[in-house]
Amino acid sequence: MGAAEAFDREVRLFVYRHFVDEGEPPTAAQVADRLGKSTEDVEASFRRLEAAHVLVFAPGTLNIWMANPLCAFPTTFRVTTERGSWWGTCVWDAFGIPAMLDEDAAIATSCPDCSEPMEFRLEGGSLTVDDGVAHFAVPARRWWDNIGYT
Amino acid sequence: MLAFRSEEHVGRWCETRGIPHGASFSLEQAWELGRRWYGDKLSPDWRRATPDEAERVFTDIGLTGDFWRLRA
Repeated sequence: MGAAEAFDREVRLFVYRHFVDEGEPPTAAQVADRLGKSTEDVEASFRRLEAAHVLVFAPGTLNIWMANPLCAFPTTFRVTTERGSWWGTCVWDAFGIPAMLDEDAAIATSCPDCSEPMEFRLEGGSLTVDDGVAHFAVPARRWWDNIGYT
Repeated sequence: MLAFRSEEHVGRWCETRGIPHGASFSLEQAWELGRRWYGDKLSPDWRRATPDEAERVFTDIGLTGDFWRLRA
């Protein structure tokens, strides 16, 4: 593993752990401070991680928007475990949060058509739902054409 | 990827917004997708799945057909 790859791995892990612990992603300056590196080095790592589709930034910035399955901005998917609450980018990511944390969770969302609230519960790795269906509008090969829309 | 109360709601939502109907599948499949995709995301050894690995996950869960292919 090269030096840049090893550093990107360290940055990625720090971003995810911070996001889980604090409920929001770190800035490049925060990562730099904690890892004892320059902000420029972390920003270069951020750009490599973006190019590799590991992190997504708010347009025109290096502010983390998504470290999937976690989303920095409010969405229609709120995931709550004993450890905290996070926004999931979509239903796939909302389910991904308890999977990543290996914790039970309640997922609150609403039907986009009628706005009726819906709640899913994950307990011991089993999903409890009354009804519902998942829908993906964008075919797999076009997901990264516009990941925000996807 | 959104969650709807039923397929009827998916159809109405797509129609009123002019969004082409994509793929509908069960919430159990969506949970399995989340579990398979993100279960190791906090591991230091995590790496992004290759297209072959990703397509294998979709197939294992029963998400098949051209919609789920990552390459043309």
